[in-house]
This record gives sequence, structure tokens and C-alpha cells, in this order.
Amino acid sequence: MVDVVKTLYEVLGGKILRHEVIRDGVVIDVRPEDLVSVVKGITEGLGGIYTVVVGVDGRGIDNTYHSIYVFSLDELKTYVLIRVRLSPEDPKVESITPIVKGANWGEREVRDLLGIEVLGHPDPRTLILPDGWPSNTYPLRKDFSYCERPRLDNPGSNYVPQRSEEVVALPYGPYHPLLHEPEYFELHVKGETVVDVEYRGFHVHRGIEKLGESRLTYNQVPFVAERICGICGFVHNVCYCQAVENAAGIEVPERALYIRSLVLEVERIHSHLLWLGVACHVLGFDTGFMHAWRIREPVMYLAELLTGSRKTYGINLVGGVRRDVNRDSIEKVVKILKKVKEEYDHFVKSLTSVKEVVKRLEGSGILPKSEAISYGVVGPTARGSGLKRDVRVDHPYAAYKEASFRVPVYSECDNMSRLLVRVDEVYESISIIDQLIDKLPSGPIMAEDVEVPEFREGFSGVEAPRGEDVHYVITGRFSKVYRWKVRAPSYNNIPALKVMLHECPLSDAPLTIASIDPCFSCTDRLVVVDVLTGRKFRVDLRTLARRGKL
Amino acid sequence: MSVYRRSIWVFHLNTGSCNACDIEILDVLTPYHDVERFGIKLVASPRHADALLLTGPITKESLPKVIDALLAVPEPKLVIAIGSCTCGGGIWYDTYSTLGGLNELYRVLKEEYGIPEPPTVKVPGCPPRPEAIIYGVALALGIVKQKYSTTKVRVE
Repeated sequence: MVDVVKTLYEVLGGKILRHEVIRDGVVIDVRPEDLVSVVKGITEGLGGIYTVVVGVDGRGIDNTYHSIYVFSLDELKTYVLIRVRLSPEDPKVESITPIVKGANWGEREVRDLLGIEVLGHPDPRTLILPDGWPSNTYPLRKDFSYCERPRLDNPGSNYVPQRSEEVVALPYGPYHPLLHEPEYFELHVKGETVVDVEYRGFHVHRGIEKLGESRLTYNQVPFVAERICGICGFVHNVCYCQAVENAAGIEVPERALYIRSLVLEVERIHSHLLWLGVACHVLGFDTGFMHAWRIREPVMYLAELLTGSRKTYGINLVGGVRRDVNRDSIEKVVKILKKVKEEYDHFVKSLTSVKEVVKRLEGSGILPKSEAISYGVVGPTARGSGLKRDVRVDHPYAAYKEASFRVPVYSECDNMSRLLVRVDEVYESISIIDQLIDKLPSGPIMAEDVEVPEFREGFSGVEAPRGEDVHYVITGRFSKVYRWKVRAPSYNNIPALKVMLHECPLSDAPLTIASIDPCFSCTDRLVVVDVLTGRKFRVDLRTLARRGKL
Repeated sequence: MSVYRRSIWVFHLNTGSCNACDIEILDVLTPYHDVERFGIKLVASPRHADALLLTGPITKESLPKVIDALLAVPEPKLVIAIGSCTCGGGIWYDTYSTLGGLNELYRVLKEEYGIPEPPTVKVPGCPPRPEAIIYGVALALGIVKQKYSTTKVRVE
């Protein structure tokens, strides 16, 4: 860590007011007017990749608002958190979106939920809150009660998509047969080619962060964190626990770390198989869909064996896990995985030898490496564009240090390479589980003294099946969390669709959208409302039914 | 309850759920449980559907779309509420951006559109197991009998 701090001072000079080393990261305080130049220094001088923007209503701590910009320094294996403190009466900060494209959503979120004004932001629209949300009401401020339900003005008035003679706006969603979640994409189409895409998501904003900060205690939050996403819920659960453990300096027993890693890998296998099935379905290759889900079923049984339930396992707490694994179940795990691997092998061979599948996947949905860096994409989407980013290697957590595995990287930047990354990862996951089972140490599964001091910061990243998931926590009084920020992987990946869909034939659009494995329930954790300034935004099913004839 | 004698076609509507219920619904349709053998089929439009599978606590953003979809289902229609969130709001029953479950949706429907409650089957669970979902649908079809009865208790 000393090296990291030294390098930061070399690059940024006197702009750092103060620094603080936390587990897995360095927090630096800078003046609001220096922010843009500091961010430039981090991205250009140190190769930092944008991770998340966190807004904090710090009026209960030091009577200021905080805006924290997190960048991942993959080479130095650490995160750097740049914090600016803003005045409590009139919080304003300069936008960094012109130099870091990925920060677009993060800054809009801070503006929507905390009322921190972002000067010079290219997109003035609301991102997260529902249509008709009253102005000057910011749900994440501490004076807003979690159960307050402001009345929406004029929700759901009719929305007319834009059109011109050449470019037609085609609605895709919010309830589309190929999307299992309610999200709305507006594809701007010229002839058969997509030229632009607009996204209106956040239909699944349920207010989880507010709930975690106001009503729940430390050890209740993991269970709600698991409900952020039903597919990769355990990732959020682990990530939250690690963030609190990092903040409080709790040492988790080794056996608990192994169990966490085991379950995380089981989850990755089931999630990738699920995605492979859905991808086949989107291609119109339903045989593949059915086979992928058939192979996946024993993995669900395996999860039940290890944790007691098929989904939403609920085995994690701050400081360890609640449920041990016994020898019987481990034997069964090995047996089941062997069978899964055989069947999967056969499935993958057949899938990649179907000519139609390969032709649809190759060369579509291109995301060049330079754009991937600029948007800060994560997970298989980044690895399919030749970026070697994996939290398990870059910021090791749980028991991943003990296992040796390969990080599959493909540099063709198309849908095929994203598929191949996931295909390879399943093999790696199976091998990781085998290695961890062999080494599984004995001992306690829960740390003895779990005490969480107040107003400490913790930051943690976990590699979800969809990419890097990060949680930021400030601990609070009375066994509660003061601020809990969740940044799910799809949050960084969805904005990059603009690049992938550009000049892409319309028939490849659904596949490309599916290729990042978007998980909207993760992305939308907060509130649901969205407004385009000046025009009401809502698509009814009638518009949807008329698609193509707008 | 059994207005249908034969196959029912369902339309799946995620109203802000976390996906766990949704993947269990998909699971029910794939080879392991394979409900297509009972004639249950997932369709792409609510106009083709007999029943609506609702998951999630019904967020404010999705409410107008849910109502539209519900109105688009032809009579006689059936609602199958899957998961604790839809049945009673779950942990979200009083959060700022959700309605907090099916009962609130029905209240909105009655007050603003004058539509009575459609027949409803609730399948609680977080997420419900695939077997429970199949049981819920079978209950709607009148193939199995409900295992318990309820009495309303008024607390003064």
C-alpha cells in the first residue's frame, strides 16, 4: 500500500489534501475545483478504470455532502476513492462525464437521489426516479423517511416516439417476449440498421439502499442484499459482508472463506448455463435453450445441498457463514459436478458446431477495446473485448488465492467472444470447486468478536457472473449502516450497448442486448421513475403492438 | 375457481421482482419439470393469454404497464401471483417506490378503473419452488384441492 500512496503523490502532487489507507483501497480527499484534473491524472497517468460514483449525505458526519469517485487500478491491485466534500446548503460539483463516459449514469444517479447538482453534465434527464416524481424530493437524503410515498403527478401519459423520414424509433420493451424483465429500449432504425439506442430502465427500482440504511441492522442487510438479484444474489451478499468486514477490520475464519468461494462458483455455473440457454432462445435455437436448462437443474440441486435452498441461500453474515458443509454433501457435489461436466462438454461441442449459431454470433455487436476501457465495462463483456479484468485476480478475496485458474480472454470483441468467455469460465469454475474441496480446511465458520465501530468506510469488489460487483459501506450508530451503495455489473455494461448496437442489423439487436447478460433487477436497485425532460416517457402495450408501423 | 377445463396459456409479467421467481418460472417450462405436458404454455402477448403470472412487488414505474397488460388479457382471466413480494409486498411493503403487493394493485384497479378483482391464486415463497408453482397452477385449474382453509379474524 505504501507504493500505491507514493505513486499517487507522484502523479497528483499537491492536489491531495489528505489520504487514508483502507483495506483494499486508498481514499484521497481533494478540493472540488481540482476534481477534473485529478480524475484525468488517475485515468491517463495511472490507467485507472472507472468503477462507480457514490453520493453520501454526510450531514450527520461532518455537515457536508460527499461525492466519491472510485477507480480501479488493476496493475497496482487496488481501488482509489477520490472524495470531494460539498456545501450542505447548495451541493454542486463539476461533471467528469466529458472525460470518463462511464460516469454518465453514476452522476445522474447522485443528482436524482441526493440532489447534488452536476455542472456541465451532457444529459439533463432523470435516470432513476419514476415519471412524475416531485422535484426537490431526494429519497437518499437522511431527512426523507424510507416509507414516505410522495404522490406522483400525472403518471403514465402517452409517449410518442421520435421519428423522422429516415430514422424510425422502434420500441423494444418494456414487456417484450425476449426480455424477462421490464426494461425499455428505443432503437433508432434506418432501414434495417440500428443507428442509435435510448434506454429507459429502472422499472425495478425498489429502494433497497434506503431500506438497508434506515430500517435494518448489520446482519439483516445480507438477506435483503441477496434479494437485489435472484440470479446472482449471493454475490451481493458476500460483497456487502466483505465491505463491512473491511470497514470494521474483522478477520473471517478460513473455512468460511472457502465456503463462500464454493457457493460463489456454484452460482456462476448456474448463471452461465442460464445465460447460454437464454442466448440460444434469442437466436431461435430452442433446442439449445432446453438442453442448457436441463443441464442446469442438477446444479440447482447442488446449491440446495450446500446451502439448504435452491436460490437466495441466506448463509452469509458479517464475520462468517451460518451453515457448514459436511462430508456427505461434499462427496455428492463431486459426483454431480462430474456428470454436469460431461453433459456440458457434449452440449458445448454441439452448440459451437451448429453453423447457423456461429454465423449469427461472429462479427456482430462489436465493442472495441478502447471503448470498453472508456465505459469501464466489466466481466465477460470486458474479457470478450480483450481486457484482462477479473476481480478474483485483480483484487483477490475469499479463498481465490488458494486456487489456480485461468482467466479466459478473447479479443475479437464480438458476441461470439463473449459467449466463448462464458463457456470457458464454466470449466474454470468446476476446476476451482474441485481444488477448493480438496483443500477445505477445518475450523470455525464464524469470527468470534464481531464488533463494528461507527463511521468507518469499507469498500469491496466481487466478481459476479456478469462482472465486477462493488459495495461501499459507511458504518453508523446503533448497529446500522449509515450509507450502503451497491453498483451491480450491468450498471456499467448497459451504457456500452450504444457502441455495440451502432450500425448493427436490427435482427442482431436482441442478441447483442442479451450478450452482455443484462441483469436489470441488480441495476435498478434504487427507485423507479424516469422522465425525459420536456416529454412524458412511457410506452404502453398498444404502442408495442404497433411496432414497425409507427 | 376452475373456469378452464383444458390447457391454459400464460403471460409472464415481471413487475419489479429480483429475477429469482422469474427463473423458477422458466425452470418450470424447461425439460426437468416440463409443464407443457399439462398444456401450460408461455405466450408472447397478453392478448393470447388466459392467465397472467405476476412476480415482484409492483413498482410505481411498472404500474401503468401492468394495468395495461391486465386489461389486455381476455375474459375469463386469471391472475397467478408468484412469490412473497406479489402476494403481500414482502420486505418492500412500505418502501417509497413500490405499491407493496397485489392488494394495492387491486385497490387501484377498483378505485380508478372500476374493475373487480380477477380470480387469483397466490403462490408465496422467496422464491417458490418449481413444484409449488406447478401446484398453484394445478389449483387454478381445479386439478388439486386446496390443502387448507382460512377464517378471517377481526382484531379489535
